[in-house]
Amino acid sequence: MAMTMTRTRYLSGAESKLQEIRWGFQHLSFLVLIYGGRFGIHLGSAVPCFACPFVPGCGGYCYLMGLQGYIGFGMRTLSTPALWAAFGWMVVFVILVAVFGKAWCGWACPFGLIQDWLSAIRKKLGVRERIVSPAAQKHLTRLRYALLLYLVFTPPLVTAGVLPEDFYLAFCNICPGKALLPLFVGETKYLGLNPDNAVTLGLSFTLLFITGGTLVGMFFKERFFCLLCPFLTLIHLLKPLTALGLVKTPNACTGCGSCAHACPMDIEALEEDRADVQHDTCIQCCQCMKACPSHDALNLDFFGVRIVSSSKGGA
Amino acid sequence: MITTQDRRFRLLQRAAQKCAAESGNLLDTLRGREDYQPEFEYFLDLIKEPTAAATERRSGRTAIRLLCIQAPLELIHAAGFQPFRVFSGSHAASALATQGIPALVCPLLRAVLGEMALDKANLSGHPWILPTTCDWVVKLPEMSALTGLPSLPEFHWMELPRLKNDGNSRKRWMDEIWRLKDFLEKTSRHAVTRTALLASIEAYGRAADAFQKLKTSRASGRLSPVWFLLVGNAFFLDAVENWTEQVNRLEKALFAPRVGQNRHARIFLAGSPLVFPNFKLPFLFEEAGLWVVADDLCSSERLFPGKTFIADTSVFGMLSTLAGRYHQGCLCPIFADNDRRINNILGRRPEADFRGVVFEVLKGCHPYDLESFTLEKGLKAQDLKFIRLETDYSPEDTRNLLTRLEAYRATLEEA
Repeated sequence: MAMTMTRTRYLSGAESKLQEIRWGFQHLSFLVLIYGGRFGIHLGSAVPCFACPFVPGCGGYCYLMGLQGYIGFGMRTLSTPALWAAFGWMVVFVILVAVFGKAWCGWACPFGLIQDWLSAIRKKLGVRERIVSPAAQKHLTRLRYALLLYLVFTPPLVTAGVLPEDFYLAFCNICPGKALLPLFVGETKYLGLNPDNAVTLGLSFTLLFITGGTLVGMFFKERFFCLLCPFLTLIHLLKPLTALGLVKTPNACTGCGSCAHACPMDIEALEEDRADVQHDTCIQCCQCMKACPSHDALNLDFFGVRIVSSSKGGA
Repeated sequence: MITTQDRRFRLLQRAAQKCAAESGNLLDTLRGREDYQPEFEYFLDLIKEPTAAATERRSGRTAIRLLCIQAPLELIHAAGFQPFRVFSGSHAASALATQGIPALVCPLLRAVLGEMALDKANLSGHPWILPTTCDWVVKLPEMSALTGLPSLPEFHWMELPRLKNDGNSRKRWMDEIWRLKDFLEKTSRHAVTRTALLASIEAYGRAADAFQKLKTSRASGRLSPVWFLLVGNAFFLDAVENWTEQVNRLEKALFAPRVGQNRHARIFLAGSPLVFPNFKLPFLFEEAGLWVVADDLCSSERLFPGKTFIADTSVFGMLSTLAGRYHQGCLCPIFADNDRRINNILGRRPEADFRGVVFEVLKGCHPYDLESFTLEKGLKAQDLKFIRLETDYSPEDTRNLLTRLEAYRATLEEA
């Protein structure tokens, strides 16, 4: 036991507790968002992370689902209450993102936690992590934007009758969260094919294919699915409004590259000589700050107030 | 009739005696200091016998000789070896290597050549690892042959890319790290396992933590910069675990801040490595009323440039992190893109609270010499008082240096 404790400490460089707090927070968030509904907790329909509505008894709904629903239903009914509800949840979502930014991804997303569990197993087994090159990252960024566009433009097309009704919640139907998160409450029905018609069969097959690929990817690459997640793009688009930001002090950086090595998203831009290093794939997990050996080189600011900084002892 | 061989033998004998006297005098001086504590005895004992053979005896491992610190120590340790840094600050040893090589050879390399001449018997059977850092290091084998030394036994070059912020350079360096792993495995005849590498990284992590505490003690005045330098110099002379244990023991036993330390002006020390028994400058700093609160010497603070953060615990992941730390994280002036070195000095300012920077250049150490001018410009722009001292291992310039340092201290007080 003592050996394990020592190992954890020296490998993580964690003299302070930020990562332990994050790990605890992720688990708490997982419990609330997966099981919260069973205890009367429901955080509404604007949760800025994968709070999957397909999990019976979940504690909140993912805004991506809400967004598709509002666009679809809002346009279909054009009723004042429906539009006000859509607008209301959008405001709530923007406020939540404005306050906590990408921390939703790094600190609260249940699907992110599953990825972190798989990474922990991989590390335990000593299996090498695959690095996503900057060139590949560019392609993945395009794919992420394509998924966001698919998510936003499919509902109006369904409303307009261009696409069949089965395309309703188009992204949810191919999201691996739909297949994997319900498993934690014993719900396995989304792991099978839906043979109702050609569209449902195609979508359910796509879901299984993406889920399988994602599981493999998540094992070999830390936070693999985050590289594809439209949430990351959506939250990044609201970056000018966000209060929580990763800020670099270029004059304090010695260029050792520890930050980029530690980053689960392989963000090389962290090494650059500029203050704004909040890359579009950053999940604000603060691993870079923990790895950085320079005092105050990397900082997390909240409403302009410095709340955590890198140090020799670990953020 | 006296033959050339006899003359050579006598020369070596005299040099060996001078080296022993040089080292012995300094050890006596250190033991006689007011701030001497019994906990220093371990480090003094190590320094007393700074040979690879003694290090092997103490650590129970075969020593791998290194000149510079770019070869990952954790990897060498994981292969079952003891990293042993061949460096010397001996004026007597330096004076021994004069014939057949240029006049202005870096004193450190000259002293290494001298030590090699005195330590011939120990050369065989000890593998060497040489990262291609400065020109003097690259030319060491050639100089060794020119000064009449036998060729070095087993040799492993690591081609160190001179660019740090370039993707291709990083890839090349990573290849060098894998080549080093292969070399170590071939030499030790067993594989570097993931578990062994993890354990070594932990061991060096603990050493870095212990050293970090000493840094704090030095900055707060509990530990004199002279002793701090001695502890750093002793790092390669025993198993890392033993050294760490003794550093922790020392740190716990340190007295309260030294009386009078507050009267010293706080400075940052940068430049060429200071190696035992060349403690001329640290003593002069004390005499001039200067207190080194932080430094970036590769014989001192830069032994541990920071913690090693391992995000990927596979062998590939760990080697990749180590490669980055020992290349990108290295602040040696041999790199073409070393402009962020100044940040390391400025970054230490709030915590160490120094008013000036002393840059020490060993005569003939061209990369440091050149970089001193770049740093001078940048540091003066940040309102830091800067002084550049060019010296060697000889005691002749002591008075001159002291006068300059006293004047420098006066400027610090005026600031």
